[in-house]
Amino acid sequence: MKFSDYLRIAFRNIRRQKLRSILTIFAVVIGATSVTIMLALVTGAKGFFLGQVEANGTLQQVAISPKADITDFNDANHGNNCDTCVKLTDEIVAKVKAVPHVIGVARFVNDGTLDAITYGGKKLTLEQTASYDANGIIVNNMLAGRDINASDTTGVITITSDYADKFGFKNKYDQLVGKEVQLQTRSFYTGIGADVQPPPQCDGPCDAAQQQQNQKPTILTAKIVGIADTSSNSKTVRIPLEWMHGMQQFQQYQQTQADRDAQQNACKNVRGNCPPVQPHYTLIVQDMLAKNGYGSLIAKVDNSKNAAAAATEIKKLGVGAADAEASIKQQLTIFNILGLVLGGIGGIALAVAAIGVVNTMVMAILERTREIGVMRAVGAKRSTVRALFTFEASLLGFCGGVVGVAVGFGLTRIANVFVNKQLAGQGVRAHDIIGLPLWLILAVIGIATLIGMLAGLYPAARAARLDPVEALRYE
Amino acid sequence: MAAIIELKNVTRTYKLGDEVLNALNNVSFIVNEGDFVAITGPSGSGKSTLANIIGGLDRADSGSVVVDNTDLGHTRDAKLSTYRNQHIGFVFQSFNLQGNNTALENVMLPLVFARMKNKDRKARAKECLEAVGLGDRLKHKPTQLSGGQRQRVAIARALAVKPKIIIADEPTGNLDSSKGEEIMKLLKELNKQGITLLVITHDLNVARMAGRVAEIHDGKITERRG
Repeated sequence: MKFSDYLRIAFRNIRRQKLRSILTIFAVVIGATSVTIMLALVTGAKGFFLGQVEANGTLQQVAISPKADITDFNDANHGNNCDTCVKLTDEIVAKVKAVPHVIGVARFVNDGTLDAITYGGKKLTLEQTASYDANGIIVNNMLAGRDINASDTTGVITITSDYADKFGFKNKYDQLVGKEVQLQTRSFYTGIGADVQPPPQCDGPCDAAQQQQNQKPTILTAKIVGIADTSSNSKTVRIPLEWMHGMQQFQQYQQTQADRDAQQNACKNVRGNCPPVQPHYTLIVQDMLAKNGYGSLIAKVDNSKNAAAAATEIKKLGVGAADAEASIKQQLTIFNILGLVLGGIGGIALAVAAIGVVNTMVMAILERTREIGVMRAVGAKRSTVRALFTFEASLLGFCGGVVGVAVGFGLTRIANVFVNKQLAGQGVRAHDIIGLPLWLILAVIGIATLIGMLAGLYPAARAARLDPVEALRYE
Repeated sequence: MAAIIELKNVTRTYKLGDEVLNALNNVSFIVNEGDFVAITGPSGSGKSTLANIIGGLDRADSGSVVVDNTDLGHTRDAKLSTYRNQHIGFVFQSFNLQGNNTALENVMLPLVFARMKNKDRKARAKECLEAVGLGDRLKHKPTQLSGGQRQRVAIARALAVKPKIIIADEPTGNLDSSKGEEIMKLLKELNKQGITLLVITHDLNVARMAGRVAEIHDGKITERRG
């Protein structure tokens, strides 16, 4: 018997018991739809995540940490507060730049100097302020305005969209660009812009008095140059590295030996009562960034394939280094497990549908026993009968698969509308992330067909086993 | 004339619960090419068993069955199916047409299993329906046809693959006498054209039309020339 004959006969038989066939197919549709949607969700989310990673250039980056034993890319910004930590100096930056495949390094400082940001009378707390070389290694997705660039020095800032939203500029970020904000430093701030005065006249140690004087936070002003989306590398505000460096210049009036000598010598040549002597002080500036080193470094390699090798090489400098692959792989594992679990739920629906197919086929064979007898009498082989019924069951699965994918496709379109809205609300520029790749469509139809076929095997074997004489006599 | 059907010492027993039924008991039987043989006997005497064994639907427990140079005793299912398809045309008492298919499609069924081309199938099926006088009923479904017409469709189906032998099991059993007579005339006509005809019947009027009458009684065959 020819393939076209199998197809024709199977179709005709399915059409014969319309309601029963439709119900059976409907069960397969439910299974196929749920598998489609769940896998589409997972592959979509995975694709979106990988797209972000790709756009940020994360795969081409190696994170370098003062802590030698980091393994996770995201743990690099560790600070300099461990016993074995290596200070990340410009000397190390130069060495990293010399490592093969490394094409650039961004110095990264994450700092808590700034406590709050105020615009239009609204004050928002700042957790961290990020600062890094504006050399294109760390890329942010800007929703409005521009990112910090290499010509920026001080007095400019970029904020993420959630801050902009809280200032009341949701969906009109452009209007916030160019506005001036007040940045409040922590207490005892003595860096750039701080009004550091010599200690007042005092007896004995003057540190306490001087500290009291500097306790008041400093207010710095900055112009917003851009709004970044929340998925960007800096989850918080960003300022130019030069400004950050300035904030790390701690100033303090101290009495040097020269000051003390001058003070003592002031009355040396005065006869009689010496008038009260003005205390002598010198403003000492301490570069804390030079003292502590950078928080972390991000090296960029020429090709993501070389990231691991470069990380290994950089580790030889005594610093910690990790490429993003391991951390991304770990996050992808989560997506894969999620896919298996959700796909499994759909799989159960398909398994139930398979039982429906078995039931339908067993019924069909009972009804068509005599017909099978006739087919055998006029020359159908056992194998032909078996193939015919297996084909029919596969066709039930196939129809269910096709309709299921179509329904699933429609539902993912609808879901995308909501997800797009949600993402836009979070300031992420992305759309239609729930993808339905061709392989998924084909796989779901293929699986549904296969399940139909497997479900048809037993009924078909039963049909083939029928004794033609008995079958012809069957009432 | 040469023997086309040759049964030697054929035995076929059925088990019905504890009872053993000798449907055929050491039967030997020869049919020559072009014969018209009526097989008669009371119900349950083994008539149908004989027909089914000759037709390749059933197998003998012992003895040899050779039909048209094919030894049916040692044939696998696939080959036996092909044998039924190529050598035998079956006509049943209850017509056994496929209710959802048109007359044309019913006649085409054996040709589907013979792997004939779709176009050739249609032409041949039409030819057969015209031969049984139903050239104007090609698209009719069995329910739209009378009993006599249905049996004609069944005969056309039996003719489709140009078999050498037609086995008709009570072909007039479900028809009134005038329609039955027409069907028998049609079969007789086919016999005249050279097809070997085996008709199982307990209708003496039908048996009378045959050249030979074989009577089966308790699994034994006795023959008288008609």
